[in-house]
Amino acid sequence: MLLEVRDLHVEFHTRDGVARAVNGVSYGVDAGETLAVLGESGSGKSVTAQTVMGILDVPPGRITAGEILFEGRDLLKLKEEERRKVRGAEMAMIFQDALSALNPVLTVGAQLAEMFTVHRGMSRKDAHARAVELMDRVRIPAARERVRQYPHQFSGGMRQRIMIAMAMALEPKLIIADEPTTALDVTVQAQVMDLLAELQRELRMGLILITHDLGVVADVADRIAVMYAGRIVETAPVHDIYKAPAHPYTRGLLESIPRLDQKGQELYAIKGLPPNLTRIPPGCAFHPRCPMAQDVCRTDVPPLYDVTESGAERGSACHFWRECLHA
Amino acid sequence: MPEPTTEPLLEVRGLVKHYPLTSGILFKKQVGAVKAVDGVDFHLARGETLGIVGESGCGKSTVAKMLVNLERPTAGEIRYKGEDITRLSGRALKSVRRNIQMVFQDPYTSLNPRMTVGDIIGEAYDIHPEVAPKGDRRRRVQDLLDVVGLNPEYVNRYPHQFSGGQRQRIGIARGLALRPEIIVADEPVSALDVSVQAQVINLLARLQSEFDLSYIFIAHDLSIVRHISDRVGVMYLGRIVETGRDAEIYDHPTHPYTQALLSAVPVPDPEAREHRERIILAGDVPSPTSIPSGCRFRTRCWKARERCALEVPALAVPAEFRSVSGPAAHDSACHFAEEKQVVPPEETGDGPGPSSGDRFGN
Repeated sequence: MLLEVRDLHVEFHTRDGVARAVNGVSYGVDAGETLAVLGESGSGKSVTAQTVMGILDVPPGRITAGEILFEGRDLLKLKEEERRKVRGAEMAMIFQDALSALNPVLTVGAQLAEMFTVHRGMSRKDAHARAVELMDRVRIPAARERVRQYPHQFSGGMRQRIMIAMAMALEPKLIIADEPTTALDVTVQAQVMDLLAELQRELRMGLILITHDLGVVADVADRIAVMYAGRIVETAPVHDIYKAPAHPYTRGLLESIPRLDQKGQELYAIKGLPPNLTRIPPGCAFHPRCPMAQDVCRTDVPPLYDVTESGAERGSACHFWRECLHA
Repeated sequence: MPEPTTEPLLEVRGLVKHYPLTSGILFKKQVGAVKAVDGVDFHLARGETLGIVGESGCGKSTVAKMLVNLERPTAGEIRYKGEDITRLSGRALKSVRRNIQMVFQDPYTSLNPRMTVGDIIGEAYDIHPEVAPKGDRRRRVQDLLDVVGLNPEYVNRYPHQFSGGQRQRIGIARGLALRPEIIVADEPVSALDVSVQAQVINLLARLQSEFDLSYIFIAHDLSIVRHISDRVGVMYLGRIVETGRDAEIYDHPTHPYTQALLSAVPVPDPEAREHRERIILAGDVPSPTSIPSGCRFRTRCWKARERCALEVPALAVPAEFRSVSGPAAHDSACHFAEEKQVVPPEETGDGPGPSSGDRFGN
């Protein structure tokens, strides 16, 4: 395993009490593999990623338990200095909103070149040449001229390409992309996802793709981990999860997508709202919204059961995964 | 859904909105224009839902604003029951506006944080007092909250006490307050979480049959638009490039932009995805200040030829389909229109589809 997150717990101290954003998340990514982390806002998907990356604001955040093993080393035990060497060179992140992730008063060239001067100790001239190369590689037309332009002079899709170039600059082993195409139009989304997938194949990187869009997931991911209220509720290869989800939350998400043959009928909707993280329901956090909930769901937190039936490994945190899988 | 009648309730012809670009500080002179909407025609029948899809910057939101008179058109007509409302003013305009209401995209910024829910919804009655007598307003507001699925006792709460989905329900209740005939919904669910989107879509569908509403439903999510719309118009750079009944557009698109748009939509079914063709467009949408000559899509079109640069294609049934009757014979603004199925027809009974959907008792 390139990256292995084990039983991670993160909480935030807020005025309303302690918000438990991540409650025992475990997942792993291999080199060349794409793991999609799917969840709604407040599910803890981004906080987990920020903790892996080491950019979580502490305080108000606090890591209360867990390990993050990157090539066998526990990142949480490293000193900040050592951590900085990992960040950027070994693992890099692509953010949703490229306009606010890029510095508006520096040219994109200067921001790309900084990767090489800081991490590789290159001269400014060499670093500039590498910046042009990178922009070429992410297919920005007229890279030689545009390297001197500022972020606002680029379109949304082009800015996201620059973010990708910056993440790829030092050829890291792991990329975390947090909703990389959510802010883009569909026709541009396809261009950017294709580019990302191509570069990933070429460099054999591990990719963690954080998203709320089931469609994007189906297009690129190998495995998928569905998060709800700070926990992974289901994990499986993409094909399996679509064919037969083993958790009622995943099933609900899939069924609420409008389908052709349902036109004019009522859409299936998961009732209620995602829980407040300062007051997560006891037992299974999904039980107040779950159509299958029984008494046991209100009292006992379901572990991530091994639900592998044939082939690749699957897990589901539902007491009634059998009923859900074979419903 | 009630059967739509044929007489149009709303008819839009040649709608144009140009925002002037000026230079100079003291003596401003116009140096160009942002052509946000550049000649749009459509009609809406009673009880019907017209979906408008397009990417950001295509002008769909500007069209919405002109329909509810938040923007004045540069040119063109908006006929409501035969009367051109762009020429109205004063009392006549006010009475028309009562009948065309809007639901906004962002439930966080479209509700005044310093007003209670009751005041937000009831404000409409201050402007149109003839709809509800003073003593009756509170009860009406509470009825509306009930209709959109909120607790009527929440009338004294403030917007920040509600979640995104609940706020959007408040926005919908405000849109309904004056009992309008037409609701213009501009991306009403795109700011909401996936599990909440379906709730709001169902609410809109229920209200339509309950109050006999007609919808203009603007969105960039093609699957949601298809679910709720009777007819669909696809916009690109200020114009409608293709329009027809939902099955005509989705299963038999003839305009290359529509085909590319449909093929780019991520399909949440790994198997359906393997059977479809993907068209990835090159480049970005051109700036609306310098729209390409001829066909405005030609700079990104893989079929573009010389004629496309010279001649603006009209939005009409293309010549090659005029003699045939069938789903391909619908309006498409392309010189070289041809039918292409990009999304394979879905099969029932595969995966967690509606065939097995009744297990939750919904």
